[in-house]
Amino acid sequence: MSILELKGIYKAFKGLQVLVNVNLAVEEGECHAIIGPNGAGKSTLFNVISGKYKPSHGRVIFDGQDITGLAPYKISRKGLARSFQITNVFPRLTVRRNIRNAILSKRRIRFNQFVLVDRLTDVSRETDRLIDMLGLTAVRDVPASELSYGQQRALEIGIALGTDPKLILLDEPTAGMTREQTKEAVALIKRVAQGKTIMVVEHDMDVVFTMADRITVLSYGELLASGTPEEIRRHEGVKKAYLGKKRNA
Amino acid sequence: MAYSFDIYLIQALHGIVYGMLLFLVAAGLTLVFGMMGVLNFAHAGFYMLGAYFGYSVVAWSGNFWLSLIVAPIGVGICGGFVERFLLRKVHTFGHAYELLLTFGVFLATGEIVKWFWGNAPLSVQIPPSLSGSLSILGATYPYYRLFILACGVAVLILLALFILKTRIGITVRAAVSDAGMVGALGTNVPVVFLGVYAVGSALAALGGVIAGPFLSTYPGMGLDILTDVFVVIVVGGFGSVFGAVVASLMIGVLQSYGILLLPKFALVFEYVLMAIILIVRPNGLFGEKE
Amino acid sequence: MKPLLTKGAVALVLLALIALAPRCVPVTHVNMLSEIAFFSLFALSFNMLFGYCGLLSFGHSAYFGIGAYTLVLILKHFTGMPLLLALFVGGIAGGLGGLLVGFFCVRLKGGYFALLTMAFNQFFFAIALKWRSLTGGDDGMSLSRPDLHLPGLGVFSMGRPANVYYLIVAIVLLCVFLQWRLIKTPYGNAVRAVKENDERAGFVGYNVYLTRLSLYAFSAFFAGIAGSLFALFEGFIATSVIDAQMSMQVTFMAFIGGVNSFFGPILGAGVYLYFTDWVSRVTDRWEFVLGVLFILLVMYAHTGLIGFVSLDKIKYFLRIKAGIKGTDK
Repeated sequence: MSILELKGIYKAFKGLQVLVNVNLAVEEGECHAIIGPNGAGKSTLFNVISGKYKPSHGRVIFDGQDITGLAPYKISRKGLARSFQITNVFPRLTVRRNIRNAILSKRRIRFNQFVLVDRLTDVSRETDRLIDMLGLTAVRDVPASELSYGQQRALEIGIALGTDPKLILLDEPTAGMTREQTKEAVALIKRVAQGKTIMVVEHDMDVVFTMADRITVLSYGELLASGTPEEIRRHEGVKKAYLGKKRNA
Repeated sequence: MAYSFDIYLIQALHGIVYGMLLFLVAAGLTLVFGMMGVLNFAHAGFYMLGAYFGYSVVAWSGNFWLSLIVAPIGVGICGGFVERFLLRKVHTFGHAYELLLTFGVFLATGEIVKWFWGNAPLSVQIPPSLSGSLSILGATYPYYRLFILACGVAVLILLALFILKTRIGITVRAAVSDAGMVGALGTNVPVVFLGVYAVGSALAALGGVIAGPFLSTYPGMGLDILTDVFVVIVVGGFGSVFGAVVASLMIGVLQSYGILLLPKFALVFEYVLMAIILIVRPNGLFGEKE
Repeated sequence: MKPLLTKGAVALVLLALIALAPRCVPVTHVNMLSEIAFFSLFALSFNMLFGYCGLLSFGHSAYFGIGAYTLVLILKHFTGMPLLLALFVGGIAGGLGGLLVGFFCVRLKGGYFALLTMAFNQFFFAIALKWRSLTGGDDGMSLSRPDLHLPGLGVFSMGRPANVYYLIVAIVLLCVFLQWRLIKTPYGNAVRAVKENDERAGFVGYNVYLTRLSLYAFSAFFAGIAGSLFALFEGFIATSVIDAQMSMQVTFMAFIGGVNSFFGPILGAGVYLYFTDWVSRVTDRWEFVLGVLFILLVMYAHTGLIGFVSLDKIKYFLRIKAGIKGTDK
């Protein structure tokens, strides 16, 4: 059974069709990339899946459950996490507290008014472990707003991971990164997301073809193609969408 | 208890008149909030200041019509000062502090008014041309109320033309929608802010001048009208002048009928309306989602 | 050398001073201290919302007033009820008021939220004013202070200022402790997360609406307790307990003291009460002075006066006085 199914997803904003009849199935454990030219609707797709927007039509089925139109916090609690294209961390909190927020949520210790949070040693241990995996140990007690861009992006992904999701949506995780940073980011993702299903929106084709098991291409809100990297590489329609019509084609 | 149809009509007229007055005060407030994100408490102070300035102009010159022009201009200048020298300085601290600052201004204005004009309510003379009443549907209807109605409609039309047709108006609308973007496109946003704030204050003052003879001029008048204005903005939607019109009329008529039909509970109606709007359309009837 | 001036030492000294006050200090000051105590609680309840969650509850006197009226009404109509229980019920009533208002308002942002809390404040004020048969309208209601029965310890008359002082201070200290502790729990952490980035908090699994709503109810509960204590202290309440001016006052207190620190509002309450007491004796225009000072405060010292008070500064000051050289802070 696919861990995520999109059935006939449409999304319009005040008459502008951003997503048109998107059908998709993501298999458990795979790394599924979503690519397409700018404005294709990739981030909107993530927003629909993660609950930020309700689709105009269609259904989102996650892990066998219909999560269409549910509030983001409910979807998160079912095991679907996302990171953002524009860094969306808790800026004035330290790295530790950023990650800890996710860990506490995962452990369902969100509303407890009786224990002292600092005394929860397993939470602290788990937080520190994740921070180590992210390579942020040195800046553990630094406020997130003071981190370097690369560190912030790592934290960005880390917060999503902290909830130990079954499916994680990464929205342009390497946006704005240099070659070196990108390589580190890819290594990080491979390291920390083991055993999880990943969906990635990416513009960097090297990253896509390295990481992805399958690729889906969107163009003007429609699904253009979906398949293995090889199939996509050879697909005429995809080439056209990215490069425009060849003069003597 | 059944009233004759005429009474209902007259009450509706009362409601529309009061609604127009509310609109005059609410329009500036909703524009400033929509554009600058600041809930401008000083607005109630400017309303009151307008009434008192108006009183003084009439007392000094004997000319009511003059006060309609001088008082709003005077208060508009005050508003400009407040924006330029006080509000702008706290902009970086965040919306809460901007709100608090306008609140401090409101308090200070209230005290200044008491200082220079005393605590007792003042009565402003209505010019002879506006006194007396008209006979409508068997009842006598004061000319002054029709004057309020006319003023409200005039301002509404002018404001609508200005906002919809002139370049400045379009800039203001854009700034209400997205001030950052407008700034990035080269518009001098601080000047737009200053302008809208000053004009909003002037509008409130105009409302005050007009309300003075109608609701009486006293130190607590700002606070008293504030509740109704708040409800108007919540119901109409932030940043929407059109919403302010619709909501003002609704509230005005609702109050009017409330007082007529269920005087003990008249107050509750507008809160019920507000609560319904908050549940069904939390951003107001015509407000935009942030 | 072990530091003499630790936080614990300071706390103990303060507690000792608080306990000994009625013996060393004239009655008017004891009464002033009582006022500072329950207004501190009121200001702290306000800051639970603003300082810790970014919610500006501009109409907070609604719950203070509900607490005050509830106490008076209970003592009037249920004369057998123990005083402590009656005070607690006052708090609960306040909390319920908060729950009602929060239900409508908590979804909304910033200035919108502040405006609505004001509108609801006006609503409750109007009820207090118009429902004369229940509340006495603007004539108000007086209460006869019952005795406090503490099993095993005896009966204490609430007619003696010292007794009222100790009761108020004890309850306030308890509430302050509860609030202080709440911040350090996972719930307090969630509140902070919602303040720092409510969108991300939602995507990480936090129910932002419920967090804010519950916090609002808790805050209103503490405000209600403060209001009940106010009623007990004054022996008389009128609509001034639930009006816009009371909401303004608590807002001032919190900001004067400092909203970014836990103890700021306590300092603010003290400063505000002493200052307005003094200034109102010097000039009739004290409200104008207050307005202007507030404007200046927001413009030039918006983090409040607590920024000028810190343990380090006290140590430094004492060292200078003692003539010790060097300034290792």
